Amino acid sequence: MLNEILSALVAVATLQNLLIMIAGIWGGVIVGAIPGMTGTMAVTLALPFTFYMDPVPSILLLVALYKGSTYGGSVSAILIKTPGTASAACTALDGYPLAQQGKAGKALNMALYSSVTGDFISNLSLIFFAAPLAVLALRIGPPEFFMLMLFALTTVAGVSGSSLLMGLVSAALGLLLATVGEDMYGSFRFAFTPDMQAGLSIAPVLIGLFALPELIKLVVMRATKQEEAATLGAQHVTRAEFMGSLKTILKGSVIGSVLGAIPGIGPSSAAFFSYGEAQRSSKKGANFGKGELEGIAASESANNGACGATMIPLLALGVPGDVITGVMLGAFMIQGLTPGPLLFQTNIHEVYMLLIGMLVSSVLLFFAGKITMRMFAKVSHIPQTLLTPLVLLLCVFGIYSIASSPFDVAVLLVMGVVGFIMFLLNIPAAPFLIAFILGPMLEENLRRALAISRGEPAVLLSSPITWVFAALIAFVLFITVRREVQKFKTERRVEQ
Amino acid sequence: MPKPVLRGLIIVAFFALTAFILVPAYVPRPAFIPGFAPPPDMWPRTVSLAGIVLGMLALLLALFRPQADESPLETDGSSRARMAGRFAGLMLAFVLFLVAIPLLGFLVSTMLLTLSIVLMTGERGHRIWIALLAFGAPILLQLFFHSALGTQFPKGVLTKPFGF
Repeated sequence: MLNEILSALVAVATLQNLLIMIAGIWGGVIVGAIPGMTGTMAVTLALPFTFYMDPVPSILLLVALYKGSTYGGSVSAILIKTPGTASAACTALDGYPLAQQGKAGKALNMALYSSVTGDFISNLSLIFFAAPLAVLALRIGPPEFFMLMLFALTTVAGVSGSSLLMGLVSAALGLLLATVGEDMYGSFRFAFTPDMQAGLSIAPVLIGLFALPELIKLVVMRATKQEEAATLGAQHVTRAEFMGSLKTILKGSVIGSVLGAIPGIGPSSAAFFSYGEAQRSSKKGANFGKGELEGIAASESANNGACGATMIPLLALGVPGDVITGVMLGAFMIQGLTPGPLLFQTNIHEVYMLLIGMLVSSVLLFFAGKITMRMFAKVSHIPQTLLTPLVLLLCVFGIYSIASSPFDVAVLLVMGVVGFIMFLLNIPAAPFLIAFILGPMLEENLRRALAISRGEPAVLLSSPITWVFAALIAFVLFITVRREVQKFKTERRVEQ
Repeated sequence: MPKPVLRGLIIVAFFALTAFILVPAYVPRPAFIPGFAPPPDMWPRTVSLAGIVLGMLALLLALFRPQADESPLETDGSSRARMAGRFAGLMLAFVLFLVAIPLLGFLVSTMLLTLSIVLMTGERGHRIWIALLAFGAPILLQLFFHSALGTQFPKGVLTKPFGF
């Protein structure tokens, strides 16, 4: 094995491969930082270029784009509260408040360090645990998936701000909106117009909900705070800050690696999951959502941690976990490689080259992130009255370009108004988004589990994996109820 | 009416509207559902009913356990009527933008939307920057998305002769 790894290392360390990975990572970071442009888009666009390349460099280019775009989403999330990708939504919760406090550089640096660490650990897990994790992932059926999603939904308790009740209302709104469109048996729900039959895409809902309310607030209330952001050079993450978040980064990386290995979960759910877990277990949990570096660390380590792990079911079983790995499966096939157990026997040299290349790309991500950070840092010097309309412009063009759909642009604007109304009513937006993303998976797996069990609800507690999740859910509910009771008692004491 | 009470009422009204009017009207149940699969309206109905319960709870808490006033919104000191006027103006701009796309094309519509939004923020200085943002940025973005992604932006009925 060692010989094979060393020979793969030599084969990867060519100037051509390094240049390809640098281009992929950097291109991915820039694409991810543009609101509305997704990693899927970057990977799909690069696919035709790979036709003329050797198998390993072509896959490395696609993987580098995927990793870069996942990190890039955090840049716009922190600087302009517009998550470039859905997986960076939690990053915006703490990153934007930090940017408003003039600590954008600190937030960007923490996002970068967490992303690189998460990515590196994820790649290691891919090398050492691909086979066992793939087997575990295969045991996840609809009941287990439902319980897992239900557990992920308990994150809502953590991102509800001052009122758990309003957080739950927001989550209910998100779950409801997620039902728009065609259901798993072909019924059209709430299809008021023909465009709505296909459902609402995540990108316009996400960006509309997070970015546009800032614009509407600026126009309606005009409470502009002109803050000059300090230079990024003066805002390094200190050793103490990094060490203080290290436990969260490692935990987020493991969460990302495990969840990424399960087909269908992806970086967004991993980030929500990790954020909720970090808030529950951190001593600084109360500061989450107000500008806490640990919140960024939790979210970014998990979403990049999921990137490498999504390759586990693809390489080990030939099962693509999400759209991006689906595109990569196509790239493998075009290159004459068939992912699955046989790949490790017939093309072991290529597999090791790919794994080593992914490790190298983690290091490249660090340098690409540092350079891009300085480029984007200038954004914080633009006056709000010009920056916010520019964000709208980017959002409108980006969203239109995803599906060439004016309907998506309309959804973007409507969601902006919904987000503003929620702001006026003090209803938090983050639980809405979490529920909107998890909702379809939650519903589909509940209905599948009930259909398989001939309508028997006990199927939801039919295996050891479901028991574990049920116990975790009960534990989180207990902690949440206890916290709310304590809060209530404290308020009463203050009133008296 | 205090804000928490109004909020509770809005939440209950919204979810009740969904559960009792929108779900029956816009979530058709197929005549035949294979096996024991739950019907399509099961999930939206359950979520709506849960929403009503949550709204009722919010309403009861607002009525019987009034909290201290929530922190006031930061504004420029304008009256509520003035702010409502600005909101209405913004909504009008959004609607006109969507209506203008088929007539004026995507490029001209976004130019007009951007210009009107910048002016609505109260910005009157930085005139060159405003012009660059409103007219230059949409051209650059359209060129970028068209050349990089091959996006075909809609041309307007009125502006088609001019190529956009």
